[in-house]
Amino acid sequence: MTMPKLSMTKDSRETLLYGILGIIAFLFVWQLACMYTNFGKIFPTPLVSIRAFFLAFVQPIGRYTLLSHIAISLRRVLVGYALSSVAGVIIGLLMGYSKMAYAIIYPIFCIIRPIPGIAWIPLAILWIGIGESTIYFIIFMGGFSQMVMNTMDGAQNLDTELVGVAKVLGAQENQIFSKIVLPSTIPYIFTGLQTSLSTSWMAVLAAEMITAREGAGWLILAGMQTGRIENNVIGMISIGAVGLVLASLLRNLERRLCRWSVRSR
Amino acid sequence: MKARTKYTLISIISLILFILLWEFLSQTGIVSARKLPAPSKLFDTFIYKLSNKNPDGGTLGEHIATSMKEALLGFFFGIAIGVPLGICMAWFKKFDMFFRPLFDLIKPIPPVGWVPIMITFFGIGIMSKVSVIFIASFIPATINAYSGIKQTKDVHMWVAQTFGAKNRQVLFTVAIPSAAPMIFTGARVALNGSWVSLVAAELIASIKGLGYMIQTARLVGRIDVVFVGVLVIGVFGAIMMSTLSYLEKKFVKGGRR
Repeated sequence: MTMPKLSMTKDSRETLLYGILGIIAFLFVWQLACMYTNFGKIFPTPLVSIRAFFLAFVQPIGRYTLLSHIAISLRRVLVGYALSSVAGVIIGLLMGYSKMAYAIIYPIFCIIRPIPGIAWIPLAILWIGIGESTIYFIIFMGGFSQMVMNTMDGAQNLDTELVGVAKVLGAQENQIFSKIVLPSTIPYIFTGLQTSLSTSWMAVLAAEMITAREGAGWLILAGMQTGRIENNVIGMISIGAVGLVLASLLRNLERRLCRWSVRSR
Repeated sequence: MKARTKYTLISIISLILFILLWEFLSQTGIVSARKLPAPSKLFDTFIYKLSNKNPDGGTLGEHIATSMKEALLGFFFGIAIGVPLGICMAWFKKFDMFFRPLFDLIKPIPPVGWVPIMITFFGIGIMSKVSVIFIASFIPATINAYSGIKQTKDVHMWVAQTFGAKNRQVLFTVAIPSAAPMIFTGARVALNGSWVSLVAAELIASIKGLGYMIQTARLVGRIDVVFVGVLVIGVFGAIMMSTLSYLEKKFVKGGRR
């Protein structure tokens, strides 16, 4: 990584200029659409939305302020995501490393794999009822199969020469596992972590829209139901922002942990 | 060869045992049939649902048709607009600088987040679903087309230029074919996202479709119908994905030749 230069080059000045132009054009079209078409009857103008956004930090919407709604969603995502990542990595490693485990688990896993996490919502409600654990379960199912698939891929695409060398040099089975299999799987695990983070984020939204009374997903849906579309817009903006922050945190972590890996971009 | 047959055998046995155990747990009442209907019961429900409109006003076939139509329409629109946009963004610098910030603004918002707004605009009919799915597939299609073009090997382009290819020729004969695998990856991600957001959109507000079917079945407590619906969603998702992989294998190979 090079240090960012303080003085701007011509290129970056141009990028900035066009970027700002793009955003302004967008806001302009939005404003015009609100003023002169039916769009404005249901949709707030940019100014109203921005005002509502800042107001939401101090004024509660429903029972909480914007930040608390986001914090609630964030907690749910992190719990479900952590659980699905741990379980996914364990099962993925197991299936990738042991042919026997693969033969036993894979056919059963294949039944679950193509079912989107969100499709589990009605079942989860019937099984667990409405509550936090239902939402955790939905997020878990949202990320689980991707974690398993990626980890398994990593463990199966092992460089067999490395294993051979280790064996020749007298490494034990558990040494091979911890020194070769695990490290060479980590880039794949990170790919899984990235995709599963975005699906988890999506799953929490859907789950909150359907079963919760708080959180960012609820905020968006309540905006629609009460006809206050600005809340809807606020919810979307904040979800996008938080999702972006989480994803870039994860990418930084990956860059730091897998500096040696070719796959880490 | 021998080890392989052994493992295949184990797989089959494992699957059979799994289903038998499920049947056993449910039949003997160790796990209440209200929570986990037996596979045999699910099969009956599946057959029943094929021709019966209860409890949600549509046969299974009608729901599948509705969902597939919505998903595929949104998917094709998303690809049709996302791929050219991505290519243009990667090829024309000014275009990129103009659209980049806007695109970056929309990109991190999960498609499900658009459902309420689209419902406000288009009602709960097919349009709102198609537009959500459009967004779900448009974003990955653009990103992948973009990075596919950006990853074109400089050497290849230099060769084309050296032989006097015009800018347009370089784009169409070098950059786009070499981006084809990435574009297909984008399509795969897009299709997956389409199916997921379709289910979400139908769960939240709808009058037909698989998501609607499982949501209604939950409300009236028909867990067997929910199960059948969830499995059908999985199966059709898998069918669409493998169709796409098949196309990819065919198309990308042809492009390389």
